[in-house]
Amino acid sequence: MKQLLFLLILSTSWLSAQDNFTISGTIKDVDNGETVIGASVYFKDTTIGAVTNEYGFYSVTAPNADYTLVISYLGYADLVQEIVLDRDQKLDIEIHEVSTQLDEVVVTAEEGERMSLKKPQMSASKLKVSTIKQIPVVLGEVDLIKSIQLLPGVTNNGEASSGFNVRGGASDQNLVLLDEAIIYNTSHLLGFFSVFNADAIKDVKLYKGGIPARFGGRVSSVLDVRQKDGNSKNFDLTGGIGAISSRLAMEGPMFHDKGSFLVAGRGSYAHLFLKLADVKNSVYFYDLNLKTNYQVNENNKLFLSGYFGRDVFDFSGKFNSNYGNLSGNLRWNHIFNDKLFSNLSLIYSKYDYQMILDFVELDWVSDIQNYNVKYDLSYYVNDRLSIDFGISDINYDFNPGEVKPISESSAVNYLKLDQKRAYEEGAYVAVEHKVSDKLTASYGLRYSTFVRSGGQSLNVYENDQPVRYNETLGIYERGTVLGETQYDKKDAIKTYATYEPRLALSYQIDENSSVKASYNRVAQYLHLISNTASVSPLDVWAPSGKFIKPQLANQYAVGYYRNLGGDAISLEAEAYYKTVDNRVDYIDGSDLIGQNNIETEILNGESRAYGLELLVRKSEGDFTGWLAYTLSKSEQRTLGGSAGGPGINNGNWYNSAYDRTHDVSFTGSYRLNDKWSFGTNLVFQTGRPVTYPDGQYEYEGQSIASFSDRNANRLPSYHRLDISATYQPNRKPNSRWKGEWVFGIYNVYNRKNAASISFGQNSDTGINEATRTAVFGIVPSVTYNFKF
Amino acid sequence: MKTYLKTTLILLSIILTSCEDVVDIAVKNEAPRLVIEASLDWEKGTQGNEQTIKLSTSTPYFDTTVNSKVTGASVRVTNDNDLTQYVFVDQNDGTYTISDFIPVLNQSYTLEVVYNNEVYVAHETLMPVTDITEIYQSVEGGFDDEVVDINVLFSDPENEENYYMMKFQEQGDLFPELYDLDDEFTNGNEMTVFYEKTDNENTNEEELEPGDIVDIQLLGISEQYYNYIRLLIEQVEFAGDIFSSTPVALKGNCINSTNPNNPAYGYFRLAQVVKASYTVE
Repeated sequence: MKQLLFLLILSTSWLSAQDNFTISGTIKDVDNGETVIGASVYFKDTTIGAVTNEYGFYSVTAPNADYTLVISYLGYADLVQEIVLDRDQKLDIEIHEVSTQLDEVVVTAEEGERMSLKKPQMSASKLKVSTIKQIPVVLGEVDLIKSIQLLPGVTNNGEASSGFNVRGGASDQNLVLLDEAIIYNTSHLLGFFSVFNADAIKDVKLYKGGIPARFGGRVSSVLDVRQKDGNSKNFDLTGGIGAISSRLAMEGPMFHDKGSFLVAGRGSYAHLFLKLADVKNSVYFYDLNLKTNYQVNENNKLFLSGYFGRDVFDFSGKFNSNYGNLSGNLRWNHIFNDKLFSNLSLIYSKYDYQMILDFVELDWVSDIQNYNVKYDLSYYVNDRLSIDFGISDINYDFNPGEVKPISESSAVNYLKLDQKRAYEEGAYVAVEHKVSDKLTASYGLRYSTFVRSGGQSLNVYENDQPVRYNETLGIYERGTVLGETQYDKKDAIKTYATYEPRLALSYQIDENSSVKASYNRVAQYLHLISNTASVSPLDVWAPSGKFIKPQLANQYAVGYYRNLGGDAISLEAEAYYKTVDNRVDYIDGSDLIGQNNIETEILNGESRAYGLELLVRKSEGDFTGWLAYTLSKSEQRTLGGSAGGPGINNGNWYNSAYDRTHDVSFTGSYRLNDKWSFGTNLVFQTGRPVTYPDGQYEYEGQSIASFSDRNANRLPSYHRLDISATYQPNRKPNSRWKGEWVFGIYNVYNRKNAASISFGQNSDTGINEATRTAVFGIVPSVTYNFKF
Repeated sequence: MKTYLKTTLILLSIILTSCEDVVDIAVKNEAPRLVIEASLDWEKGTQGNEQTIKLSTSTPYFDTTVNSKVTGASVRVTNDNDLTQYVFVDQNDGTYTISDFIPVLNQSYTLEVVYNNEVYVAHETLMPVTDITEIYQSVEGGFDDEVVDINVLFSDPENEENYYMMKFQEQGDLFPELYDLDDEFTNGNEMTVFYEKTDNENTNEEELEPGDIVDIQLLGISEQYYNYIRLLIEQVEFAGDIFSSTPVALKGNCINSTNPNNPAYGYFRLAQVVKASYTVE
């Protein structure tokens, strides 16, 4: 692989013609010095140009000539500069925002939100934090994860469930990165809110398909979240006081203007929910984002970023549960020359979950942590060719569970489930190649390997069957354990290797329309095995190994893109077909909690999803917003395989829990004048597949429901309307203090959307009834935000 | 014990979610099936000779009218060792009884039911149970520090995997409360199980008060039955909650040897049981 990279570099440098010159540099915001991600840098009236990378760096190579250089980024004034390209040159540019309002509330959308028709990248959505902040949300708590659910192809399992689902995939199939660190659990309060504090976030990009070769490890999507670097010009204080939490962020220059820092904190109030008001319970979360950077010299820059978040539940001191993510990342940007940009990252992430049950004197802890070294390079060869390549190595440690007695008198014995270890390595090359003025291709290959290391023992099962079908009873049972094999720490239990080709094409039909097609294959070596409707904090990540194979996705997508009426309105239509091999599903009656041998609870299956996504978006003017519609299907099939028997649901295809036939979202914001602006959401979704009873019988003096096939029924449709109004009082022109009030009403017509329907007997009458649990009825809220 | 982890999580999610109401939901109706409730429980210190097996059919989920009692079936239990046959007598009210059954600990038995010309067969072993060592009431224990809870103590035998079912029923309540327990985290230790009721407007549940009498049963059960009853209890208590396991079709051990696609609901269980009653002070 390394030889291949070397050859590529050699051959491409040879490709660059001699009378070409390169202009390169960094694009920043003039007000706060933040680097700008995804700004267009191009020569006017040519097809030559580039887009700034995650560090604001650009490099454009073109023949010797005079050019008009244009920097364009939505919400910012176009910057135009005459360039004489008769030599290689470096040009750092600062651009300034059009709006002077608080929190970058811009009324125009950005280049990235508008469609870049020429780029082969498809199925990607970029959301600016200013856009996210305008979307009405429950209790006024700005929520990145809830915002992306308004995009086509993105749903979740209900208001109080964690994570999100992309194109019919499970939430563990999303790679969520915060400054490149893997975030294993994106939710606060079991799913009510998300872990991202919008005040600390600069840029959000979601890849639903056409996943670039530099990403790997999850089959459904990549959510790439980048934190702000911190204001390098002025000391800045932003904050807010809301119904759920208060926020405060500090940023400013550091190291004698060679760097900057950002510290952002958010804490919710205890006794959050009315239902808890009269008891001695507390439920709260907090998080802390840190970032600092140091410009060593022209070609070297260091970044240090960190995140720490925690949720705490304390119920009368009887049980205490807490969980959270911790991550840190040290990065080194090095510019070798005006065409070769590199970044080295050392990343650590951890997610842990603890539950202390005082009444049984039990303390339960589980965690997953990883160390990741990544080296990514971008080589901007010439005006037709650029190459990304790099390597990554992730070292995982899994602690699936540890049970401790918390006192002498505890009935609990100490127990530790087997620790698991694994390495995931990846190397990739991706070429973006402008084949002609109309056709651009992006082709890449990722080669990934996964080593499940030893240092533990594994059960040996009779006939190699961890699960076997009991023909007599018609159920799946745990296999018979014959003994154990001990694996030494330096031995590999199992090794997997996968070639993951990525391909994307775009063909520009005319000025305003293009078609694109993409194919990607992605391997996923980790699995979050869950048998509950919402992924619960008790669910444990399991690595691939002797018994569990890596998930392997193939996705094909085609799309049509058109700008209507100038740049203000755009239309996107995409169709996709996706298959995932080795998608495991739990057997009926599985027991996953504290399960040391997860292989005895699952069967190997497959899933497939296909759909059509439409997006109409208006990104400029007083009114901005989008309308998204998705028609889709997501199914899975789990055969008995080596366990024998028919499999789950008799081996037939069944709806996955993420299947939504229709999904419509409308979100819009309207700026009335300098003082008032308004926002709204309207959401409609087919109900989630669930399992209902199809009969009842008497047993143990109770009515027992007999349930039908898995996911054969559906919850009622989900829909709701939200509105918000933002008021910015008159400001004294010279005052640094800027404040705004945000008034919101979530679920305006108070629809009781079923988060779940449960079936049981009324304890007075003994009559069976169906009980609906709704999470949020109508919820008004007020938030005050300030900037100083 | 593991159940507590899950139960706690489910309680958290219930605390966080706000609004519950009863709604009309249309469900499908499958064809009626035979239900065999063959629970041969042998109370410690008794002969265990009197036993009852109940037969019924399943009914549509929201139905309250269908008479589901099954009469005219033949019911027989065989001791697999000495092949003694115990024939249960049809009482024409859905129950089948016997008064000369001989329970033998750790002995396997076979149940045979013939109904509508189809033969249902099940095998199970009679499991022993340890004694209840103490019952006491407290306020501090349990989930809620302000209501009375009843604590039942027993010693788990160390040299084996044990599975238990407990039943608590306050006299006057419509249904018992069932608990499933294993000793995976607690092998060989003194185990405490508490029963607590809290005031709940939705379910009209009321907390325990002085004078209330609670009937308590501790049953020793097989691993196979534990796997069954654990699911059944979770489905009865929490089915549908987002943190409870997705409900699945429960399969008991009564298979239909005439038509394997039409197995019976219910279970053939043999368990030694310790019974006690406690009056709240």
